Amino acid sequence: MGDAGNGKGETGKVVPARYQPPLPLDKLLLPVGASGAGDRMELDVVIVGAGPAGLACAIELAHLAQRERTDLNIGVLEKAEALGEHSLSGAVVNPRAFRELFPDLEDADFPFRGPVEKERVALLTARRAFTLPTPPTMQNAGNYVASLCEIVRWLGEKAEALGVNLFTGFPAASLLTQGSRVAGVRTAPTGLDRDGQPLATHQSPNDIVAQVTVLAEGTRGMLAQAYLEWQRVAAENPQIFALGVKEIWETKQPLDSIVHTLGWPLPRDAFGGSFMYPLEPRLVALGLVVGLDYRDATLDVHALLQLMKLHPLFRRRLEGGEMVEWGAKTIPEGGYYSVPARRSGEGVAILGDSAGLVDVPSLKGIHYAIQSGMFAARAIFGALTARDTSATRLAEYDRLVNESFIMKDLYRTRNMRLAFKDGFFVGGAKAALMSLTAGRFPGRKITVGRDADVDRTLTPVASPGITPDGRLTFSKLDAVFKSGNATRDTIPTHLVVGPDIPAAVAEFYSHVCPAGVYELAAGAQHAAPLLRVNPPNCVDCKATDVLGPRWTPREGGSGPKYKRM
Amino acid sequence: MKIAVCIKRVPDSETRVKIAADGKSLDEAGVKFILNPYDEFAVEEGLRLKEKAGTGEVVVIALGPPAAQETIRTALAMGVDRGVLLQTPGLHPDGLETAKALAGELKDAAFDLVLFGKMAIDDYNHQVGPMVAELLDLPCVTTVAHLEIAGGKGTAEREIEGGVEVVEFPLPAVLTTDKGLNEPRYPALKGIMAAKKKPLDIKPTAPGPGALEILSLTLPPERQAGKIVGEGSAAVTELVRLLREEAKVL
Repeated sequence: MGDAGNGKGETGKVVPARYQPPLPLDKLLLPVGASGAGDRMELDVVIVGAGPAGLACAIELAHLAQRERTDLNIGVLEKAEALGEHSLSGAVVNPRAFRELFPDLEDADFPFRGPVEKERVALLTARRAFTLPTPPTMQNAGNYVASLCEIVRWLGEKAEALGVNLFTGFPAASLLTQGSRVAGVRTAPTGLDRDGQPLATHQSPNDIVAQVTVLAEGTRGMLAQAYLEWQRVAAENPQIFALGVKEIWETKQPLDSIVHTLGWPLPRDAFGGSFMYPLEPRLVALGLVVGLDYRDATLDVHALLQLMKLHPLFRRRLEGGEMVEWGAKTIPEGGYYSVPARRSGEGVAILGDSAGLVDVPSLKGIHYAIQSGMFAARAIFGALTARDTSATRLAEYDRLVNESFIMKDLYRTRNMRLAFKDGFFVGGAKAALMSLTAGRFPGRKITVGRDADVDRTLTPVASPGITPDGRLTFSKLDAVFKSGNATRDTIPTHLVVGPDIPAAVAEFYSHVCPAGVYELAAGAQHAAPLLRVNPPNCVDCKATDVLGPRWTPREGGSGPKYKRM
Repeated sequence: MKIAVCIKRVPDSETRVKIAADGKSLDEAGVKFILNPYDEFAVEEGLRLKEKAGTGEVVVIALGPPAAQETIRTALAMGVDRGVLLQTPGLHPDGLETAKALAGELKDAAFDLVLFGKMAIDDYNHQVGPMVAELLDLPCVTTVAHLEIAGGKGTAEREIEGGVEVVEFPLPAVLTTDKGLNEPRYPALKGIMAAKKKPLDIKPTAPGPGALEILSLTLPPERQAGKIVGEGSAAVTELVRLLREEAKVL
């Protein structure tokens, strides 16, 4: 602990990994038939997570079953109370996977808001904005602005119409295992008080046993992490993450182009940028994304987004408008080298964000998620038909992904994000060369470490905070309210915090978490400040799961209620 | 026990209300709809009475647009046996027309109990339950907070100002349920699966024109920022003056 300062006002170093508890594998992996469950249900395929990946998998499976005139019992578990309420993305969507999943529909039938007509990339200084040439990877002609919540609700309706069972409000809390096989999942219990005692509304966990379990939990999936660690499935690089904080504004000024910015207000040793997309001319999605390998322990993505809105580029559009929604989510940014060596195993497949299928240079992942869901569905359907859901058989899914545009895209941009570990300008120059050489420069793999291993410097008052005015800028508390989070206060904590957290680390956590879950509270007289944890505030962004306290699934329906994120 | 529960699809209580361009209806874009929370108490009570009796049937009846099927499925997932949707193009503002349609569906079905939530959280009318009772010529007890049924009659407790009123009534009867009657269950996984296979009867319905018309909807005035009047005893006089002259509460 000698490296951690005593809290506010003292310089110190924080290495987050030292204070991070291990993944609670004893809770995340249970032998099938373990005691403690209420109902038991059998399905052919259980899919964890009703996001674009999981729903596309369910839809494609149902399509295949329909075509072959067989009955398949498919269930999708979703932790949010209703479809889409935990889904958040920019988003500018590449429609190609939609076209493949729904060959009979036109682009106009898809739940998009509108085609990208104009785009701009700008480099910001504190007062000015310089338009940059749009890098080839960021060109969006032919793509559509969309809300992921709306996409998910639409996909959910399609799945339901095909006979898929959607279980919203049921988080999967553990993998049920049988030897090295995944045999299903156990859901989280509901209706427990702070001490874990049952309330009147208590429901025991349910066991869902299936021939194939599909993990489509999204970014930093808990069960996917548990599986990969349990089966020692490695990747060439560890997965690295970014945190995005996003707001939706009803504005007075119309916006007719998508805008990306680089530079201010981020420090030069942080990787990231902002986006501003019109869902409608006067309904604007706005966000700031920052790689979690930043060096300043007091960097606070929510606070930086608030500061950023004071820049004339944003201010003149937002002033007089109203912030109607707020949310946050991590993004897996490691790309090609962070994709696990295999995403399938005995009775299991891992999709989309949970498998790290995101291309950072083009800021896209939704079409990879959908496409991976379709590939998994084809491999699973083949396996079910052959009555063989072994790892060998399901490896067909990996083969399909490896040979597709997904891995080709990720390979082409394999080092771009990684180059930025050297800072903004060196990274930018390298990335430009990579673009020009279609990924051949520098050729070899750039090695990166885990975000939690990056040491941070805690300098006194590094980022000058702004006082939120409640009109243009907002406190974390106001922000959480706008996420629709109405989690009951008496819920047992779902966050696993390491022992003996020094004040400097507590302060670091308070900045990492965009939702005010972690606070630095005054200790007794003359004692160091303490870490206070407010679990109901949590919006499931998973940022501290990357850098500190672990997130675990909690009562269904908890967390945010995003509408148009 | 044969029990009917009349339910309504309403906007979620967390909805950020936006008024539509016509100035007299809710803008439904992005609005999540739920089973009216007071109706949840009625569904739960119906299920408990049936479970206690060990036999019988609980039927939910809703009047509303096609999307109200979802609301009925929620009740079916909680354990209700079957559902009926009196399908209309939209929701009717006149409670009497809704009551007439529901009474038409209920009148020959020989229910022992007809349950309603005491009100719908969207229009706050408290009308339809008592109107149906009147149309069916049945006894009606409103805002029931505790209920016992035994030997062909019922005892209901109503929470009234400063006390509890105990009402005895014969069956069949119409009751409207209040918060506190029970703690509604969440649908279980098995219930959600089972709900897909339960009967849901859709009957196109055309309620009469009614006598009520909604002229306009307006949002409540925006809350004004607070004001700090001053400190110490000197502020008291000023505070009293403002409460009397500005806020007009003294």
